[in-house]
Amino acid sequence: MAAPGKIKKTFTDPIGKNNPVFVQILGICSTLAVTNKLENTVIMSLGVIFTTTLSGVTISALRKFIPARVRMMAETLIIASFVIIVDITLRAYMPEVWKQLGPYVGLIITNCIIMGRAEAFALNNPAGLSLIDGLSSGIGYSYVLIVIAFFRELLGTGELWGITILGEWWTNWAIMVMPPGAFFMLAIFVWIVKGVVMKEEEAAK
Amino acid sequence: MKQESVFSTRVYPVLFMVILTVVFISVVSGIYLTTKERVLLNESLFQKKAVLYAAGIDFPENQPQEVQSIYEDRVTEVDSEGGQPAYFKIQLPSGTTGYAVYVRGAGLWGEIVSIFGFQPDLKTFTGVEFVEQNETPGLGARITEQWYKEQFRGKSGPFELVEEGASEESNELDAITGATRTSEAVLKIANKAAETARDKVEKGGK
Repeated sequence: MAAPGKIKKTFTDPIGKNNPVFVQILGICSTLAVTNKLENTVIMSLGVIFTTTLSGVTISALRKFIPARVRMMAETLIIASFVIIVDITLRAYMPEVWKQLGPYVGLIITNCIIMGRAEAFALNNPAGLSLIDGLSSGIGYSYVLIVIAFFRELLGTGELWGITILGEWWTNWAIMVMPPGAFFMLAIFVWIVKGVVMKEEEAAK
Repeated sequence: MKQESVFSTRVYPVLFMVILTVVFISVVSGIYLTTKERVLLNESLFQKKAVLYAAGIDFPENQPQEVQSIYEDRVTEVDSEGGQPAYFKIQLPSGTTGYAVYVRGAGLWGEIVSIFGFQPDLKTFTGVEFVEQNETPGLGARITEQWYKEQFRGKSGPFELVEEGASEESNELDAITGATRTSEAVLKIANKAAETARDKVEKGGK
């Protein structure tokens, strides 16, 4: 059993100072693509959390058996299987959302966060710790996306979760729902977090 | 240094991958097979809703059985070659016989597949539903929103595009601000819809 300190650090690192999106700048493709509607973003996030967690556990559990030279193939196969499970489940039980997310569910396979965590963490750590790492990496990815989606949907369409919030007087910012809007929002997010929050923490040390 | 055996460098990795693949593919296939029926049901329900919507027939959104029975009452599928009917013969709310056809065309990023519903004259739209599209989310993809689809009812081509929210005449279609290319693509599709319908219905009528 790992020390409690390590467990806590494993959990908080990907959420805070080692966040996959705004520190490591991974998973940007889907960050840009699915964040123009809150609903899609939340479903996508759940899919990613599911995949990072389960693929982390599985790869970690198999780490003693996976031959080093085919490890990438094995990882990809495991990750792809979990992603296809997400895809099939959405297709069967949430066909509307599945239609809207389109190819992006399948593209979770190529999300660098999952492969990155598998390579960097799951291969060298026990299954329990990898589960925590996968879960928190997924959460670290998700909350950034959800914050971005919140502002993009609100400013871009005046709605949240498809419900009108801002009313008639609001002029929709078309750029917010286009990919460039995601670049701006992500940049602003990174700027605020790194320029303000993280600097203050450093100064406090 | 330990000498690596042929087994550990050649045989084992291959064996490992084969076993891993078989195990995971079995699990995925199992899940696929157990949900297959549901997926097919979803798809057929989706098509039925699309036809009813295009024909301007009201149906309860979340009651599949109700949709099914309304569909069976009102719609006849004609020439179901390979699953997809050539056209649909529909008893419209007005009591007359209308038609609906699949119309396909190029969108901005991919194919747009739509179902157009027609009055008995095969010229005037009863409505439209877009069943497949890959337009830009939030811009071109707004063709699937109510306000956009509703504007087609009672209109007949050839059409002209006007600014978003400005269409008044029966040959004018609202464009979508910020999605000019998608608007043009839909215009093209709408313009060829009547011809497609005439072709199919007359061919099927022989």
